[in-house]
Amino acid sequence: MSRRKTLATASAALVALTLGACAPSADSPEPGAAAGEGCDGDAVALDVWSWRTEDVKTYERIFDVFEQANPCITVNFQAHLNTEYDQILRTGLTGSDGPDIAQVRSYGLLQPLVEGGNLQPLEDVVPALADFDDATLDGSRGREDGAVYGVPLASQTIQVYYNTAIFEEHGLEEPETWDDFIALNDTLLEHDVTPLAVGARDGWFVPTVHDALTAAQYGGADFQQALRDGATDFTDPAYVDSIQTLKDLQQYMPDDVTGVPYTDAQVLFTSEQAAMFAGGSYELAFFQDANPDLDLGVFQVPPPPGSALDHPVSAGYADGSWGLSAGTEHPEEAETLLNWLATPEFGQLVADELKQFSPIPGVEFSDPLQQEMWDLYQADPAPYLLLVDYRYGDPVGTDLMGEAGQKLFLGDTDASGAADVIQDGLSAWWTPGE
Amino acid sequence: MSRRRRAAALPTPVALLFLLPAAALFAVFVLYPMATALTYSLFSWRGTAQDAFVGLDNFVALFTTEPYATQLPRAFGHNALLFAGAMVVQNSLGLLLAYVLHRRGRLRRLFQVLYTMPYLVSPLVVGYLWSLLLSPLFGPVNAALRAVGLDAVAQPWLGDPDTALWVVGLVTAWQWVGFPLLVYGAALGALDPAIEEAAMLDGATSRQRFWHVTLPLLMPVIGTVSVLTFIFSMEAFPIPYALGGSSGSPAGATDVMSLLFYRTAFHSGASNAIGISSAVAIVLFLVIVGISVLFTQWFRRVERRLT
Repeated sequence: MSRRKTLATASAALVALTLGACAPSADSPEPGAAAGEGCDGDAVALDVWSWRTEDVKTYERIFDVFEQANPCITVNFQAHLNTEYDQILRTGLTGSDGPDIAQVRSYGLLQPLVEGGNLQPLEDVVPALADFDDATLDGSRGREDGAVYGVPLASQTIQVYYNTAIFEEHGLEEPETWDDFIALNDTLLEHDVTPLAVGARDGWFVPTVHDALTAAQYGGADFQQALRDGATDFTDPAYVDSIQTLKDLQQYMPDDVTGVPYTDAQVLFTSEQAAMFAGGSYELAFFQDANPDLDLGVFQVPPPPGSALDHPVSAGYADGSWGLSAGTEHPEEAETLLNWLATPEFGQLVADELKQFSPIPGVEFSDPLQQEMWDLYQADPAPYLLLVDYRYGDPVGTDLMGEAGQKLFLGDTDASGAADVIQDGLSAWWTPGE
Repeated sequence: MSRRRRAAALPTPVALLFLLPAAALFAVFVLYPMATALTYSLFSWRGTAQDAFVGLDNFVALFTTEPYATQLPRAFGHNALLFAGAMVVQNSLGLLLAYVLHRRGRLRRLFQVLYTMPYLVSPLVVGYLWSLLLSPLFGPVNAALRAVGLDAVAQPWLGDPDTALWVVGLVTAWQWVGFPLLVYGAALGALDPAIEEAAMLDGATSRQRFWHVTLPLLMPVIGTVSVLTFIFSMEAFPIPYALGGSSGSPAGATDVMSLLFYRTAFHSGASNAIGISSAVAIVLFLVIVGISVLFTQWFRRVERRLT
């Protein structure tokens, strides 16, 4: 008995360790490349990896367009579960049966692949990168060498969505001033409509809400620059004030907001029980899908009196790009595909078929709301600060804001205490001005 | 009690030959990843590229630098609480149910199947299911409490740091109670009924028979179940992840060791993520093995005293 017990103990405990060594969890048998019609030479199959399991069918349609123009290249598109993707990709790119081209994360989460030498710098490979917006390319740069390691795939913007039917019912309009914004929240509350659909149980959602509501108050891109220059840190009074604003607006959010999951906040909004939703452009397709009758508008929150900026802004960030594996066996074909991924033709397909903001110059958006969000962002852009600059170490800024915001909502800390959580956490790896 | 059976004699080379396939599988899928994790933790990393040999530096960093110096003990404490909760709730309840079912023979099968059902569902699914049930907005749990006038009891169960970890423990118990129930049920079935009959003839009440006859006889099984519960509790991942996300919401109240590992390995932009996270895995492994061995020895001593 006891020996068997010891054995069971030992073998079950070993499971803990196998966590540590990440074995590849998906093999990708390479199907023989079938030459398309009109291909004279040898056909080549390229493996393209993605974390968008929900978009597989759409991507296959999109790559059909490419394959028709390039009959000798077959695109073998494979999507892996979002939550496991980074692990699978790191293993794939360091091993032998990885992708030729892969969707890679932006900013901090891109760095492990760059530092590991798994991706190739692209400025010389894809000339069209020169036409991209600099702020967008920042998402794909290596921290140390500043080279671009990805063709930007999608950008996201952050703003406030509102239900136009609910607004009309209560005689409300898009707010022009901070007082307008507070007044419309009060009106909705009086009529038992939840003004702001927020779920703070998912920590990652808190910094999104914070930037949607207060990016102009703490100064948006100016504050980002001041942090980069070392002129201030996160205990800056303007930043503390913006956190206080988040606390002040808690009365317009659902009760027990730290117990409300993000998905419930979505449902609250799409089921028309809440009037506004502070969130990313990536919500649009889901909102329209969940409730096709939903009539939506968007606005930027006007800054409160005494704000660092005198005009509202939209926060935004680059969300993923296409990287080229350093170990690809078909560099020529992969470069052909990568260059196509930088063309307005592909960008337009991303906009039309995937409903995403392609940052490729010249792309237009057929959905008027999507176009409006993009125009607002182009006119008054701001960085989604904690994601853009503060994911280059451990802990990441967005996690810290999640924890700080939850403590703030629970009443366990005040605004300056929440700012301290962020500053102290980041100081583990970040010094202002470096 | 101990019956020793003579092993059928097999010439040693042949025996080794039969052991080879299992040993090979064990080496490839267990020993190799183990050794890999150990070596990973002794190097510094630049992204996915192995850098210099740094000895125990990663372990030193884990215990002395932020955020790990704060998060590691916190996560470990939560694992320990989950274990304590599992022992008190899940295993006691499992034993009680197994004992009751053992004595009421007729419906035993049916209830065994019913209690074991959640055990067959993926823990991630169980976690998300309970997350829906406990939602303060749409969740039926709070709605039911309010419907019967227990408004004061209705809570943002997963949104309050004071209740969140308890919920994780209870949901885990809800899913796993079938495990001790089955093991104890089998052990009870294997006990010699003559012993209990003898106690009955000697005039022992049913309570005395349970505490002084049945329970001591179950001690070896209780030991095994406890050690396995300890291992499961230390490795808890899917249910805390489904209920509190990768950062252990709210405000780190449900953070556990595996989540800490997950965050440092796959959710951080730190250059040395692989080195530090491998060190977390090694520490977790050593804690599990060390304490499990101590537990086993202690239970063996208790058994010896009882028999």
